[in-house]
Amino acid sequence: MGTGEPKRMQYIAQGPEADHRTSTGLNNRKLLMWAFLGSDAMFFGPLITTHLINRTATQTGPTEDIFNIPLTTISTFVLLISSLAMVLALAGIQRGQMGQFRFWTAATALLGMVFIGFQMTEFAQFAAEGLTPRSSLFGSSFLILTGLHGAHVTVGIIWLWSIFFTSYTGKIKQANSLDVEIAGLYWHFVDIVWIVIFGVVYLIGAFGVEDRLLEHAGAAVRLVG
Amino acid sequence: MQLDHGTHGAHPTAAVYIRIAVILTIITLGEFGVFYLTGLSSAVMTGIILALSSVKFAVVAGYYMHLKFDNWRFAALFVVPFFIMLLILIVLLALFSSLTR
Repeated sequence: MGTGEPKRMQYIAQGPEADHRTSTGLNNRKLLMWAFLGSDAMFFGPLITTHLINRTATQTGPTEDIFNIPLTTISTFVLLISSLAMVLALAGIQRGQMGQFRFWTAATALLGMVFIGFQMTEFAQFAAEGLTPRSSLFGSSFLILTGLHGAHVTVGIIWLWSIFFTSYTGKIKQANSLDVEIAGLYWHFVDIVWIVIFGVVYLIGAFGVEDRLLEHAGAAVRLVG
Repeated sequence: MQLDHGTHGAHPTAAVYIRIAVILTIITLGEFGVFYLTGLSSAVMTGIILALSSVKFAVVAGYYMHLKFDNWRFAALFVVPFFIMLLILIVLLALFSSLTR
């Protein structure tokens, strides 16, 4: 950094981004990804809320009794382990160990595909038992929420495979490990969204206590009113 | 020239990441176990599940997403919208509960 330059103007990267400066001293791409993840959290919030509101609106269709908690616990475990694989892939490329990076990137993507496989199996079971987006408000809100999460995972899988194959062209290397870090942030985000869905929608939902939450929330509103 | 993506401290080692994965697995098994515990009131069960999920959420965001080690502005960009989302969730639940009575 040259003499007399404002202190906040910093170099933020090396390699292709070496001359890229920002007023915050932070990398704009990483900043953008965090802003996107913040907005995506706000996207999932109302979807979860909509499901909580409609979870008892089952009409004549299936209720939350059809949740297969052991199967979902296994798929949750798979997604958690994929997050471990992702950080190991990032650690690999940051150390310049391309073999390790490729192995863990492929492992992350494969574990993501296993998760999607579990979700497709679950959806097929639900459809066989009569739970479809058209069967009830419960069905539509649940399937839209979990389906959109699955779509996020699918985007992540495509992103990871594209990074994996691009690494063989030499465009993904230690100097631009930020590309992998940003993909990793997205991947961990879909993991933490699932942590919330698994706890709130599956476990608490299947236990049938959201009614009480609604009662408490309603009582609080009446108290304020 | 130093590579600086806004990181304040060194990222954890692979051994730390693996230990964190073990902790996350144990918590997930704990959630699964709590679900099948009999004789637990729904309020207690909800509290335990929410607490365990919150710990998992914080651990993944803090260590795997490096928020614990990165510049605080990255965390702010995520945490502020997250709390707005929580507020929306509570208000909507309260509103619909009130309207449907």
